[in-house]
Amino acid sequence: MILFSLFLVLMIFLSLSMGYIRIPLTDILNILITKTAGTLPGFGNINETHLAVIMDVRLPRILSCAGVGAALALSGVLFQGILLNPLADPYTLGVSAGAAFGASIAILLNLSNAFVSVPIFAFTGACLTLFMVIFLSYSSKNPMAGLSSNNLILSGVIVAAILSAGISFLKFIANEQVSVIIFWLMGSFASKTWPNVATIIIFLIAGFFISMFFARDLNLISLGAKSASSLGVDLKKVTFILLLSGSFLAAVCVSISGIIGFVGLLVPHMVRFITGPDNRKLIPLSMLSGAVLLLFADTITRAVLPQEIPIGVLTALTGGPVFCWIFKKNRFK
Amino acid sequence: MKISLHNISFSYDDNSSDDGMIIKNFTGSFCSGSFYSVIGPNGSGKTTLLDLISGFLKPLSGDIEIDSTPILSFSKKNLAKLISIVSQDYAVNFPFCVKDIILMGRHPYIPRFSPPSAEDIQKAENMMDICGISHLQDRKINELSGGERQRCVFARALCQDTPILLLDEAFSNMDIHHTLQMLQLVKYSVKDNNKLVISVFHDLNLASTWSDAILVLKKGEIRAFGRSSDVLTEETIKEVFEVNSIVEYNEHVHAKQVYYPTH
Repeated sequence: MILFSLFLVLMIFLSLSMGYIRIPLTDILNILITKTAGTLPGFGNINETHLAVIMDVRLPRILSCAGVGAALALSGVLFQGILLNPLADPYTLGVSAGAAFGASIAILLNLSNAFVSVPIFAFTGACLTLFMVIFLSYSSKNPMAGLSSNNLILSGVIVAAILSAGISFLKFIANEQVSVIIFWLMGSFASKTWPNVATIIIFLIAGFFISMFFARDLNLISLGAKSASSLGVDLKKVTFILLLSGSFLAAVCVSISGIIGFVGLLVPHMVRFITGPDNRKLIPLSMLSGAVLLLFADTITRAVLPQEIPIGVLTALTGGPVFCWIFKKNRFK
Repeated sequence: MKISLHNISFSYDDNSSDDGMIIKNFTGSFCSGSFYSVIGPNGSGKTTLLDLISGFLKPLSGDIEIDSTPILSFSKKNLAKLISIVSQDYAVNFPFCVKDIILMGRHPYIPRFSPPSAEDIQKAENMMDICGISHLQDRKINELSGGERQRCVFARALCQDTPILLLDEAFSNMDIHHTLQMLQLVKYSVKDNNKLVISVFHDLNLASTWSDAILVLKKGEIRAFGRSSDVLTEETIKEVFEVNSIVEYNEHVHAKQVYYPTH
């Protein structure tokens, strides 16, 4: 755990220094210390360009990227734990399709202040989808059977299918804006601001505490509903709270950075190889790994590749083959 | 300790007619210090009855009480300190170690965010020892055979250390050696620790040999309920299971045994 935290910090510093303008690590430390402590260290002449690049461009981008990576991984752990399905990910309940639909509408209507309205529309779309899915699968007569994994997944698939058709239709009538929609859907951390960082961090901290609070109950849920219930787990409450937490995390992620696949699906699986299935270890370690992985991908697309490609494409391209390998390996166990 | 059920009815469908009821107007009580068996054909409501007693399902009508306190008024955690269940779904979805699974039986006793106490760990180790699964403790639960897994679930339920133990075909995948060993264990806990055990059986001879009383269910209704020697008759078996049988007292097991003659 400490190792992973150190790794994340190292990654952040490396990522800060890399890019179009290379900034030496000492300058970064200098800037950060000056900014946080407010006291000027001995050799206090800071390059103004470097200061602007670090504080206004790279740091918010890097922190929101790490935050989204952690949130997606956490959300993936929660969904896999509740739905008891190794293929579950943050988007299983159609949150991504909802967000994409909301964002597409905002882009299509060309709402004046696009930088504010697109994320808000995306978040609203994601929440509406979530409530629709829960409404479809919930039955007051038999609440436990209603929230069963099969019902939830099926409702998610149905709603997502309808929304995907809707998105296709919006693209069809969007004419020249279609490229904006497509680019948004593929995900990017370009031009992230401090408010983005604050949003994701707040949701992340809340999500972390809620899921650690119920981590042991989540372990018991893997014994099956009846056994978990007989061991004192309030299934209805725990399922509901964790589903909502996971979905809100996913919704925030999508509204900040578009749809980034595979982090939420892949990271929990890889971390499970190291920690085993105990959620008390799996949750924090998955969050750290998710942050490192997404930051790694983002740094590559930002600083290493000659031209910035959408991060959603990069994570799916690199994550996809690894997932194929895990799937193949586990299926015959 | 006494569990009493008054006029319990249950169905998965709210509007079902009397015929659709899985449990119909069930009234009966179970007392500590006895080993009860529930027998009946497939779909007669045996598992549903246990689920109602354990609080997993809520009856459409009627009350279930433990020492005249309705079970729905207990918190989940307190109920888990009273009733443990070995259910038929013993599949575990993630590859937990056997000892982690057994320790999960202590869940109701371990406060949030604290590690299991030395006593919890001691209890878990004892139970693994008694159930003969100590050698499996570091194995992954999903790599074990059905019978081994069932013994793990059994050990977990015993580790929960409750005055009431519900067994839903808990022996279905065990070999005869382990079946007898577990039954012996349960029998001792009933005699020495005054526990209350209700077990669903398909093997009428095991039910007759090991239990103090037998409850016969058919289509959600009680067909017979009483001392094993009184309940098991050729007529009842014919009526409930629709098979011909011969019921005789067997001096080796000191109980009635059922034989199914062939022609």
